[in-house]
Amino acid sequence: MMKFLFMMIFMIPLCFMKNMFWLVQMMLFFMMFLFMNLNLNIMCFFNMSYMFYCDIISFGLILLSIWICSLMIMASESLFKLNFYFNFFLFNVIFLLIMLYLTFSVLNLLLFYFFFEASLIPTLLLIIGWGYQPERIQAGMYLLFYTLFGSLPLLMGIVYIFNDLNTMTIYFLKFFNMNMYLLYISMIFAFLVKMPMYFVHLWLPKAHVEAPVSGSMILAGIMLKLGGYGLLRVMIFLQEVNLKLNYIWIIISLVGGLFISMKCFCQVDMKSLIAYSSVAHMSMVIGGIMVMNYWGFIGSYILMISHGLCSSGMFCLANINYERLHSRSLYINSGMMNFMPSMSLWWFLLLSSNMAAPPSLNLLGEISLINSLVSWSNISMILLMMISFFSAGYSLYLYSYIQHGKYFQGLYSFYVGSSREYLLLFLHWFPLNMMILKVDFISIWF
Amino acid sequence: MLTNNNSNKMFFLFILFFSTLISISSNSWFGCWIGLEINLLSFIPLISNSKNLLSVETSLKYFLTQSLASINFLFMILIKFSLLKNFDMNNIISIMMNSSLLMKMGSAPFHFWFPNIVEGLSWMNNFMLMTWQKISPMILLSYYFNKNFLIFMIIMNLIIGSLGGLNQTSLRKLLAFSSINNLGWMIFSIMISENLWLFYFLIYSMMIFMMISLFFLMNMYFMNQLFINNMNFFIKLNLLINFLSLGGLPPFMGFMPKWIIINFLLINKFYFLTFIFMMTSLIIIYYYIRIIYSSFMFNYFKMKWVNLLMKNNMSLINLSSFISISSMILSTFIFM
Repeated sequence: MMKFLFMMIFMIPLCFMKNMFWLVQMMLFFMMFLFMNLNLNIMCFFNMSYMFYCDIISFGLILLSIWICSLMIMASESLFKLNFYFNFFLFNVIFLLIMLYLTFSVLNLLLFYFFFEASLIPTLLLIIGWGYQPERIQAGMYLLFYTLFGSLPLLMGIVYIFNDLNTMTIYFLKFFNMNMYLLYISMIFAFLVKMPMYFVHLWLPKAHVEAPVSGSMILAGIMLKLGGYGLLRVMIFLQEVNLKLNYIWIIISLVGGLFISMKCFCQVDMKSLIAYSSVAHMSMVIGGIMVMNYWGFIGSYILMISHGLCSSGMFCLANINYERLHSRSLYINSGMMNFMPSMSLWWFLLLSSNMAAPPSLNLLGEISLINSLVSWSNISMILLMMISFFSAGYSLYLYSYIQHGKYFQGLYSFYVGSSREYLLLFLHWFPLNMMILKVDFISIWF
Repeated sequence: MLTNNNSNKMFFLFILFFSTLISISSNSWFGCWIGLEINLLSFIPLISNSKNLLSVETSLKYFLTQSLASINFLFMILIKFSLLKNFDMNNIISIMMNSSLLMKMGSAPFHFWFPNIVEGLSWMNNFMLMTWQKISPMILLSYYFNKNFLIFMIIMNLIIGSLGGLNQTSLRKLLAFSSINNLGWMIFSIMISENLWLFYFLIYSMMIFMMISLFFLMNMYFMNQLFINNMNFFIKLNLLINFLSLGGLPPFMGFMPKWIIINFLLINKFYFLTFIFMMTSLIIIYYYIRIIYSSFMFNYFKMKWVNLLMKNNMSLINLSSFISISSMILSTFIFM
């Protein structure tokens, strides 16, 4: 485990050398394949050392973060072409990857918090440094302050646990049972803000829209999953209080997910629509984790991985359109099928995965979540039916507005699609739709 | 301190250091008072410069407030000697003594002189005022404090330090309000143990030193000056890292003292006070980030008639920002 940490640390000097942009991306792919070859034991913590470990959840999420970081570099070729501080950009990406890797793999709860917070700093730098509009300052503020407002009580909770239990090792926490309401709220509030839950979701549309393509990819791909991962870890010792209070969070997220899905139909900005659909998907994930049955955990984990790939791919597609037309508006991006028919294929593949059409991994996640939430209460059938229906609705809405219809007459000329862009989208789509063929390594935990 | 060819200031600096040592190592309260008075007398020549009217006015204001606090302190010491025979700390006299010491430090609710005076001092004098001048009142505070009174003062410090800085554009006043906020943390730490206070104080003074020397070398006194300069990339990075570290964000060095103080707060079951500590530090981070907007962005406002270019000849500052990043991460591996 430490070998990957050192590999990433030594990639940092590589970022500052001349003409090493594509080499860094290739090294990240290389690390991905090295990491996949770790011995994967399902029922336990494996690869344990003094401060690192790997669990089935952290394994999948670390894989996802390395994958998305390497695709981030592939998507940001325009920074390299235009020579816009790409050395520091590479450093930011590698630093963010190190922080995410450490978040998912340290054994100590306080170190988890430390790297959880530390991963905010490079994200903030990415949004404000390379974003496209002046509104990115406000977006960075919202991101930083919503997340900090949630996570400072988390620090209080972790230090309280240390003073009470004299241990912070995540593995030992399963032997304890902390039955305090205030501790429960302070521990999970940070992750609910990060997920995001409905009432504290305002940072997400701002941050996702104003970020550059790499920032949007990493935000949608991994940063939201940090909240899910934290919830999964913290539920271990908060089970009793959760059973008494989980209905609050489930109801807020499901009803909120319904409102957000309806709000998706009103969006004009492509990226804004994708961002709101992220909130709707994550609302189901929160529901699944809070219910605390096995199908709920499985469904939320699968939906986290598949949503990471799918949303990140959709942001790549939105950026492909943005680089050609310099607009994200649905009024201008219409009739694209006339000019980029191959992109239309990729829009359709990724949007069909977004609406959880078979054979995508989203389908498995949503079915598991529907199963778990309906087993918790029959009334959630109505909410889940509406959320799934509306997600199909706005995915189709986005597809048909962008691809079909008359094209905007003010377009001049642009090229159809470079093979780098096709490779980028293929690498997003392939795990999403092919992993359905062997799901037992992400859905059978014991 | 870094003077313009005036070596007498070295002499007064030596007396300033010596006076603090007198104050904190004396056996009797009277010796403490003597140390405080010599402190005042030796700081005034350091900050007054008879060619500048603002300097004269500032040193006069400083003299008035500090001497009022000192004479109050002397009076309370004498009352304590004559009236009280016990060592109980929860009485009105300890409140009065603590108030006079808080006024010497510039802590709320006696802080009104502090932003005024830092506005009139140069950066190096500000550094002395914000770090060295706090040592002897702090340590004297720890000898005879009233716990409930000090907890109330901590809350006032935190709130005034965070809310007061929201409408400021002068960098000196911003750092003054941040210093008032950090006084809240320091007063709590000295209630726990002097060792803890020393740890917090050393890291705080190191961070303030890095920032003040950066502003001193760039000759910056106001926020709008941050946006019109073509700052070198490393200067921007340094500014970013220092302010985020001062705000207490991981992974920088400034997170460590705040985390340890939260640890002691929760051990002693001050739950609501911890919440106030956290939320006010959010407000502080807000106005720090407002200062470092210019370092987040790669472009700058270019003025038409004047071209300001910053050369990077501050290798010591770069080393210090490297220490700031790496020390936190390295220390987590040590203290595991």
